[in-house]
Amino acid sequence: MRILIVEDDREAASYIRKGLRESGHVADHAGDGEEGLEMARAAEYDVLVVDRMMPRMDGLSMVEALRADDDRTPVLILSALGEVDDRVEGLKAGGDDYLVKPYAFAELLARVEALARRRDPDTVRTKLVVGDLEMDLLARTVVREGEEILLQPREFRLLEFLMKHSGQVVTRTMLLEKVWDYHFDPQTNVIDVHISRLRSKIDKPFPRSLLHTVRGAGYRLQA
Amino acid sequence: MQARGAAFLRTTAFRQTLLSAALFALASFVTLGFVYAASAGMVLRRADSAINEEVAELDASFQAGGIRTVNRYILERTVGGGADYLYLLVHPSGRSLSGNLTYLPDVQPDDEGRVQFTYRRPAAGDSGDEVDDGKDDRTARGRIIDLPSGYRLYVGLDVDEETRLVSRMLNTILAASALALALGVAAGIFVSRRFVRRLDRINTVARRVKAGDLQPRAPRNFTGDELDELSENFNSMLDRVEALMHRMRHTGDSIAHDLRTPLTRMRNRLDEALREEGDRASREQALERAVADTDELLGIFNAILSLSRLEAGESRASIQRLDPADTAADLAELYEPVCEDDGLSFNSEIQSGMTMLGDRGLLSQALANILDNAVKYTPSGGAVTLRLRQTGDGMIEFSVTDTGPGIPDTDRARVTQRFVRLDNSRTKPGSGLGLSLVQAIVDVHNGRFELGEGPGVVADGHGAGLRAALCFPTAPAED
Repeated sequence: MRILIVEDDREAASYIRKGLRESGHVADHAGDGEEGLEMARAAEYDVLVVDRMMPRMDGLSMVEALRADDDRTPVLILSALGEVDDRVEGLKAGGDDYLVKPYAFAELLARVEALARRRDPDTVRTKLVVGDLEMDLLARTVVREGEEILLQPREFRLLEFLMKHSGQVVTRTMLLEKVWDYHFDPQTNVIDVHISRLRSKIDKPFPRSLLHTVRGAGYRLQA
Repeated sequence: MQARGAAFLRTTAFRQTLLSAALFALASFVTLGFVYAASAGMVLRRADSAINEEVAELDASFQAGGIRTVNRYILERTVGGGADYLYLLVHPSGRSLSGNLTYLPDVQPDDEGRVQFTYRRPAAGDSGDEVDDGKDDRTARGRIIDLPSGYRLYVGLDVDEETRLVSRMLNTILAASALALALGVAAGIFVSRRFVRRLDRINTVARRVKAGDLQPRAPRNFTGDELDELSENFNSMLDRVEALMHRMRHTGDSIAHDLRTPLTRMRNRLDEALREEGDRASREQALERAVADTDELLGIFNAILSLSRLEAGESRASIQRLDPADTAADLAELYEPVCEDDGLSFNSEIQSGMTMLGDRGLLSQALANILDNAVKYTPSGGAVTLRLRQTGDGMIEFSVTDTGPGIPDTDRARVTQRFVRLDNSRTKPGSGLGLSLVQAIVDVHNGRFELGEGPGVVADGHGAGLRAALCFPTAPAED
């Protein structure tokens, strides 16, 4: 994947860049919004990682300018702020996801990869398949090895999110945000508990596990 | 002193009073001017009508006997002096025939044939003791009538007394207006000085506060006037600033105190990892733990940040109408498995059909904090209940009860303060900010946060338990 990092803090930028390269991506860097806008217009990127506060042109203005050009490249906005309304502002400006500093690199990587996936041709999918696990989004049924698995509505949404991002790492915070729409971190391991419930339904009765724990990062559903 | 005086002249109060004094002086000038115009006009009109009557008399004698009769009429009245009127009959040749005036005034008559001029009273015509000292220039007013065959007749009145009176009146009016202006300015200075002095006292307080002393307060006279109200608002603002400063200082101390422990621990781990020889696995483990410590620290910072924003009222919470039952049900669903995993029985009783004004995210966070605590402190085998109901006084109440150790009466007021951790919680993870955050969120919603005894039965080996309730007003009906 080709990723553009627009961040005025050189150290933070090189930290992200190094991490992305180690994960097998190509990462370019722009030092402010104007430079970022130029680079984003000049080349095709899969994802833009844009810091919110920058000299010359701030991140939100840059994203707005891009969107005005009908450039739909997915954007992850980084912010040192971190209240819900800041997030809403960032998403309104055209950002696709919002990450508050400081963050773990695993979190950033997971979100960047999830955003790139979103860009895939947006055909309306009615069926998700991961290995022998199948989800019918219309009938709202889940079947594995021909056996129907009964899920609670929230478990269904959790599995749907995991299947849509199969092969990718999804973090606990991402799940909390996207499946539950909560933007705070509970002190207890609520997500782990829900994952283990889901696991007991979709994995336990079967010989091969699909839902893996990725240490220090989150979970991955993979055949 | 001069500088202060100049500064005083620039004050709004002084300018305002100067303006009103000027307006007052103008008003009195206009009023008195009107009185002047009316009375001066009246005096002259009376003279004019008297002259008209005398002209009518003379006209009648001219009609009766021609110029001779007129001449005789004038002679009869003027010989011996003491005539009421001034007369002069002039022959077509320009020679004066009779009358008590020596010459005809060389003044152009106005539209009605009237003239007003200064004349010298003839010394001979009177008692004779008049001295010609130039002081006997007097004002006369009258009419000049052209008679047939070239004779001209002047009939007039001495209006010297009247015009003097009128001009004295004018002078008096001008003097009175000047006096009104002067008095107005003086009163203005007096009044505005008082006003400015009171303002000065408030400004002095502001300057001292600016210099760093939060103690002084603006003086009040408790009359409830504007300045008193200003002082009151100013003082309550200072009270709030002082409280915030105090809290900030307290928080700063607490942060330093609370962060020292994890930072020291992290430092030791990193140091250990550095000194570790060869053993890659244990070095990695030490680094991982250091990262976990950092995350904990950052968590504390984030909590402090959210808390400060909420308390400062900066967080523009997106308050909207919501059904509290949805919020409660979502959290029940989130926490039920957690409780069960911890060997706790979880129950929820949710009343539906209510509406409140709130921010779903913040409310959820507050409830999650309380549920986290319940899970954290309730020993296995206990029970946690989430309940949503309408109370007797119409409030919407979320409550979480557990059968944990509870919080002693004496500590309940304290636990919502920042960084307060009770002794028995020191061993558990946590920042001591959770309940402060709940309190701040409840405050943003104009609600109430209550802590009480839970349903635990001490005799069963459980604690008394804790009941934490969040009460919010019901949303007013939508139009």
